[in-house]
Amino acid sequence: MELPVLKVAIVGCGKIADAHASQIKRIKGCEIVGVCDREPLMAQQLSERFPIKQSFGDLTELLSEARPDVVHITTPPQSHYEIAKLCLERGSHVYVEKPFTVNADQAQELIGIATESGLKLTVGHDDQFTHVARRLRLAVQNGFLGGGPVHMDSYFCYEISRSGYSGALLGDKRHWVRKLPGKLLQNIISHGIARIAEFLPGESPQVIAYGFVSPLLRSLGETEIIDELRVIICDDERNTAYFTFSSQMRPDLHEFRIFGSKNGLALDQDHETLLKLRGTAYKSYLEKFVPPLNLAQQYVGNILTNARSFLARDFQMKSGMKYLIESFYTSILQDGPPPIPYREILLAARIMDAIFAQLNATRLRAELPETTNSAEIGALESIPGIHE
Amino acid sequence: MGHTEHNDFIIGPDDLILVTGATGFVGCKLVKRLLDRGFRNLRCFVRESSNLNGIEALSATDGMQRRIEVVKGNLLSSEDCLTAAKDVRVVFHLAAGTGEKSFPDAFMNSVVTTRNLLDASLRQRSLRRFLNMSSFVVYTNRDKPQRMLLDESCPVDTHPERRGDAYSFAKIKQDELVVDYGKRYGIPYVIVRPGYIYGPGKKAISGRVGIDTFGIFLHLGGANKIPFTYIDNCTQAIALAGLTPGVDGEVFNVVDDELPSSRRFLREYKRKVRSFKSVYVPHALSYALCYLWEKYSDWSEGQLPPTFNPTDWNITWKKTYYSNQKIKSKLRWSPEVTTAEGLERFFEACRNGASRA
Repeated sequence: MELPVLKVAIVGCGKIADAHASQIKRIKGCEIVGVCDREPLMAQQLSERFPIKQSFGDLTELLSEARPDVVHITTPPQSHYEIAKLCLERGSHVYVEKPFTVNADQAQELIGIATESGLKLTVGHDDQFTHVARRLRLAVQNGFLGGGPVHMDSYFCYEISRSGYSGALLGDKRHWVRKLPGKLLQNIISHGIARIAEFLPGESPQVIAYGFVSPLLRSLGETEIIDELRVIICDDERNTAYFTFSSQMRPDLHEFRIFGSKNGLALDQDHETLLKLRGTAYKSYLEKFVPPLNLAQQYVGNILTNARSFLARDFQMKSGMKYLIESFYTSILQDGPPPIPYREILLAARIMDAIFAQLNATRLRAELPETTNSAEIGALESIPGIHE
Repeated sequence: MGHTEHNDFIIGPDDLILVTGATGFVGCKLVKRLLDRGFRNLRCFVRESSNLNGIEALSATDGMQRRIEVVKGNLLSSEDCLTAAKDVRVVFHLAAGTGEKSFPDAFMNSVVTTRNLLDASLRQRSLRRFLNMSSFVVYTNRDKPQRMLLDESCPVDTHPERRGDAYSFAKIKQDELVVDYGKRYGIPYVIVRPGYIYGPGKKAISGRVGIDTFGIFLHLGGANKIPFTYIDNCTQAIALAGLTPGVDGEVFNVVDDELPSSRRFLREYKRKVRSFKSVYVPHALSYALCYLWEKYSDWSEGQLPPTFNPTDWNITWKKTYYSNQKIKSKLRWSPEVTTAEGLERFFEACRNGASRA
């Protein structure tokens, strides 16, 4: 049966919109019918390069004239909620770039609107759909861990330099990232948090966050942008996770490790490798030789797997995004479940809310004048995590 | 450019001049040249994070009565542009998104910023000229009136979206915008297109000589002339283009005389700065590789981005000669620093660590 052609629109024509347009163009059965940016020149440049028939400077015009089935929102996060709400109200399915919204309340409301309207929503956590991430998911589903996760460890680092995006952010006190509740962290960490949210069974985890401005940024005169973050997460079933964000450690890892009661899995996003960590030990000196051989064998296997994907023209830097978009469109056309369960979107948003609340409370405590009374201090100290 | 010929220019020494990108490699030298020329009222528009040491040193050099106003801001802000353009007579628009790999970022930091500045300039009844800093990269270097000669009459790329380079795309669009504002609103503009600007402080060997992307330096220029312009010569040309009467709407290419070949430059660099291994890639082979790279990029749906392609090969590595006749005749420009002297200064700075390949 031939599926109808989906009409797709992109709102927000910055850097990430390029990735969306490139990947959508690779998917059969859809067409980009319009792009929109409140800066018309930005919309024009995207429409010329890809090429796309219509470009708009106004969202309502895009929705009225292009009448898209799906809207991809690639604007700064502060506008995600308003734009997504309008698109849903006008009957379009919505793909929202990460972070989904600026807080969990907005996420909850959008999901509510979508559910009531029979429309689909997803968030741009495309790192969860790379080849290696899909292999990890399959191994977990096949029971490799020996039950549910006991502990997870997620690294999502970001090298800050004085050029490019981070240079623009550091050099501009009015940059939109500075206006987010979680500032730089909010714009970046959701990929790493979402990995934890996918496998964390509990709905109300406790979160303990510690963050600071790195010495490097301090030396540049920066006092607002927290670029070092360590988080401990524990749900009510005592499943735990660590999350690390760092701008200073090298290598700047993008890794995820998940451990069950029998075995563990280690995913390295940068090298696109997955290692199966066996929980059983060999006797005596064999433990020193057999597991390293096994790891070497697994690395060779990873190289061959990656080479096969490359030769098959399926190893684009944003192949995860293509897979996620394609899965989302399939869920729309076949009225199936969206590729990222709403529970995960909400849980990631709640964990991030808790992190930023604690970091902001810590900052406020540090800025309190000595005359502050105990009630005000107590109010700040009541924000340790999601649940008490 | 002499020191006592203000009558030859479109503004007087106390008229306000705006320089955007004033802390950059070219901007800082341009500010110095304008001051040396006797212009006493300069506004330098810089980013909040810019290093102001160069400009501050200029304002503190002597006791002459001159005003260097530093305005910090972002050209993406219309308000900041209005502040920058207020009461300005001549704009030297040098700021651009350099080093951007992303097309939207390069476009935003070159085209949207230029549009904002043009809009702000339109509100200034006093504006006498808008100088737009462009680049050789805007040319196609194909279908030229004279086969191997690149000059101002050569065609500009009308399909920049096919380029693999974000900077080129943005520069072509920026030029289009300035010309459009000239036609539609009568903005008196001049476009300056330098070749490769070099001098102490420049941090790289030009890509026209070769690249080290693959771990070894691939020498791609061969016998090609490299369109060098020494920083002092270039700023002299920019100043003249911004101030000389009767050249509104003109485009000026800037290259020095006695250009060295890529091979000669590389040999001298290795001899006088540091030795390293390089592999010469003949033109036919580099073209074939660029062609294949682009084909593979298309076939693999962007698994490799089209960084190397025949369009960019034509402007970067095709055998070409360059003319500076127009700027010499219309602006009475001639290089103050010979290429031999400029290269010596550059190599010396490289040896001392001020520049690095």
